[in-house]
Amino acid sequence: MYKGREGQWAFYLHRLSGLAILAYFLLHVISISLFVFGEKIYMAVHGGYDFILFRLGLIAIAGGVMYHAMNGLRIIVMDFTGKGVAYQRQLWYGVLLISIVWTVYVAIKVLPRVAAGV
Amino acid sequence: MNINVKILRFDPEKDRKQHWETYQVEASPGDRVLDVINHVKWYIDPSLTFRRSCAHGICGSDAMLINGRNRLACKTLLQDVVKDGGTITAEPIRGLKVEKDLLVDMEPFFDAYRSIMPYFINDNPAPAAERLQSPEDAERMDHGSNCILCACCTTSCPIFWVNGSYIGPAAIVQAHRFIFDTRDAATQQRLNVMNQNTGVWRCRTAYNCTEACPRDIPITQLIEEVKRAVMYQQA
Ligand code: HEM
Ligand code: SF4
Ligand code: SF4
Ligand code: FES
Repeated sequence: MYKGREGQWAFYLHRLSGLAILAYFLLHVISISLFVFGEKIYMAVHGGYDFILFRLGLIAIAGGVMYHAMNGLRIIVMDFTGKGVAYQRQLWYGVLLISIVWTVYVAIKVLPRVAAGV
Repeated sequence: MNINVKILRFDPEKDRKQHWETYQVEASPGDRVLDVINHVKWYIDPSLTFRRSCAHGICGSDAMLINGRNRLACKTLLQDVVKDGGTITAEPIRGLKVEKDLLVDMEPFFDAYRSIMPYFINDNPAPAAERLQSPEDAERMDHGSNCILCACCTTSCPIFWVNGSYIGPAAIVQAHRFIFDTRDAATQQRLNVMNQNTGVWRCRTAYNCTEACPRDIPITQLIEEVKRAVMYQQA
């Protein structure tokens, strides 16, 4: 693995989170649209999402969305201002901090419900 | 001190794929990586193949992937990358075809360089003396004209590794040099090259190029300036 610094990881994470969100949205839209085939098929598929990995995955998606959105703003600042490029590292640590705090918050809200099986 | 020099070797006449070879070398902390690689070639295995010429960071021929980062072997001191008894690794730069050992085919890199028309263009008759420029205007080209075309930047770029048709940071730095030269008249043509789908928009601001440049050129900053120049001329 090439030993790049912050910028390299910012880019890899942005692409990974972008693709993860895309996959999530596709799944979401397809699942919802299954309603045209009636309630039974819809519920059969949606019942599957109670599976633990899907519920935990949702926390990761929530974190990924926040990272992608915040780093997206970082990229916009870099693209339009020289200052953004000069402070890209600091901006990225800010992005990480917000994403981690948010992911922890979501986990605290969601994990008890997963544990309780609701 | 004693160090291990681990080199990714490839002989097209014998090997089907690359493999690591390790050599023990005695060296001092102030030696450069190029010195120990020369030592391997001169005293251990003369078949080791790599480029170098000036040995002083000027010709740009000995870019290598040293300890996981692109650097010039002649500008990297051992004390900055290895301790006594430790190991340094040297691999060919990535994204270009390996011809032998650390030697890669630089032709695609120079094709990209040529495509930006890296020469002064102005058909207006030259004035009697010089084409004058203010010191501030000349400063715009300070960074770009420092480039030694070593390819450390382009071959550190994750976009270039997976898409060899990307023109790459080095060519963009060169284009920047002429685009922002107030005396040059081909700005429009160069911006058009930058605007192609192999051009400047491929850059995803990963900054590997900036970290790798042995001339400390703020490459990503220059790329972003070119992106803005393309965008504002379209608007
Ligand atoms: C929340 C609001 C969003 C913002 C602010 C945002 C921002 C951005 C920006 C600025 C880029 C360009 C990256 C670059 O130039 O390097 C980008 C790339 C991308 N986005 Fe988003 N985005 C958002 C939502 C989404 C959503 C909902 C999806 C999925 C459907 C998505 C998927 C992607 C993908 C796949 C890329 C390409 C990544 C790459 O080129 O490396 N984004 N996003
Ligand atoms: S911009 Fe820097 S890293 Fe790239 S070719 Fe020029 S000197 Fe080498
Ligand atoms: S800043 Fe752009 S050109 Fe430089 S390494 Fe990153 S993606 Fe490549
Ligand atoms: S040998 Fe010339 S730059 Fe290193």
